[in-house]
Amino acid sequence: MKNKSIVWVKIKSDKYYNLLLKLNKIGINVLEIKKDKNNILIKTYYEDYKRIKKYLISYKVKIVSKTGLIKYIEVAKKYIVFIISIIISIVLLFIINNMIFKVEIKTDNKKVEKLLIKELKSYGLSTLKLKKRHDKIEVIVKEILDNHKNEIEWLEIKFDGLIMIVNVTEKISKKEEDNYENCNIVATKDGKILSLNLYRGVALKEINDYVLKGDILISGSITHNEEVKDIVCASGEVYGEVWYKVKVEVPFEETITKYTGKNRYNLSIKVNDNIYSIFRSRVNDKEEDVTNLYKLNDFEINLVKEKEIIKDKNILSEEEAYNKALKLAEEKILLMLQKEEEILVKKVLKNTTNNSTIYLELFIVTKENIGELQVVKEGL
Amino acid sequence: MKNLHFKDTFKNFLFDLENFITIYDKHLHVFNYQKLDKLSEKEIDLIIDNKKVIIEGNNLVVKQMTKQELLIEGFILKVEFKYEK
Repeated sequence: MKNKSIVWVKIKSDKYYNLLLKLNKIGINVLEIKKDKNNILIKTYYEDYKRIKKYLISYKVKIVSKTGLIKYIEVAKKYIVFIISIIISIVLLFIINNMIFKVEIKTDNKKVEKLLIKELKSYGLSTLKLKKRHDKIEVIVKEILDNHKNEIEWLEIKFDGLIMIVNVTEKISKKEEDNYENCNIVATKDGKILSLNLYRGVALKEINDYVLKGDILISGSITHNEEVKDIVCASGEVYGEVWYKVKVEVPFEETITKYTGKNRYNLSIKVNDNIYSIFRSRVNDKEEDVTNLYKLNDFEINLVKEKEIIKDKNILSEEEAYNKALKLAEEKILLMLQKEEEILVKKVLKNTTNNSTIYLELFIVTKENIGELQVVKEGL
Repeated sequence: MKNLHFKDTFKNFLFDLENFITIYDKHLHVFNYQKLDKLSEKEIDLIIDNKKVIIEGNNLVVKQMTKQELLIEGFILKVEFKYEK
């Protein structure tokens, strides 16, 4: 490929037309000409400069300035030591930043620790090896978990600077859990039994019985004529009515957040949980959606979508505040309930209001699973 | 139907065979010249496609000069073509 670097060449001559004719004869491309007293400055290609030097021996020819590749080569030659040291520093910094200097496996089980050291080494994760990308780490964790289903329950690999931290939870053999020989189903709450499904053991309570927390509902001891004939691990489902008293208060004045539809984008840098915005925020009250663009250990660059909001004050009527309080109380209870559990009854016991707030006290009846497995330890 | 000279047009498109002279107010642009014969303040002689082109004027200077193109600046008084017999 022809070197298309452009140079300004100074030729000592006061015969302008003669020189140009000579340049034309040897096929020099003259891109621009300037003239002073005894010198003629021409802008030409570096290749043409070499031809001038070769054919116009009697002229004093000198390069004044350079552009393009040749300029960069010259600068590179001048600062070669500096450039090489910068490159070496960057490479060293990259290597040091991405190298594992210590592996910390957080477990007391030596067997699991040895197993993990061996496994991680086989995936190239040991001291003085390079860190791996987050997606690769996820695959490694999945593979280790698949290969050691019986030994490891949960595994997490994370990097804290130069240290690789491996958090692990060992698997407790399920056989141990199933090996309970004697267990009962006991009540976890006070209540009234609504339904009782018995799978194994002897039911000590019946539907519509009132029970207290800790009462045995299904026993694992099978008796006949007051004599224990067999001991099993009781199993079954007991649903009961449970009663709650809930107190809620709702102020009449509430703050409503509205989006104006005005969105602005910003960049932020996160270093060790400290967040710095790169540009000045152009909205006053805002909510932020953060998308991660780049992450290296504790350093993150994030794209921030700033959504402008307006905060309005709204005054609730007494009826609205009352309904809101009812809803809040219901939500409070629903948070504690599982999938097949529900609220059966809801009654307001007390309703008091002052200038700014409404106070409600409610009685709520729920249907809940109140049975829990309790192991009977030997000797007790 | 008119003859569109496809072959010639295509050849010219590929190899830039056509030559032309464009005259502006104080400039003269020559494309595809063969030889620069004479160069002075008052006269520039060129050979273009076997014909001699004589450019006469005052303060004639070359602004740009490549193997194909020539850009002349100055007061152009006359452009003369001389066909060789």
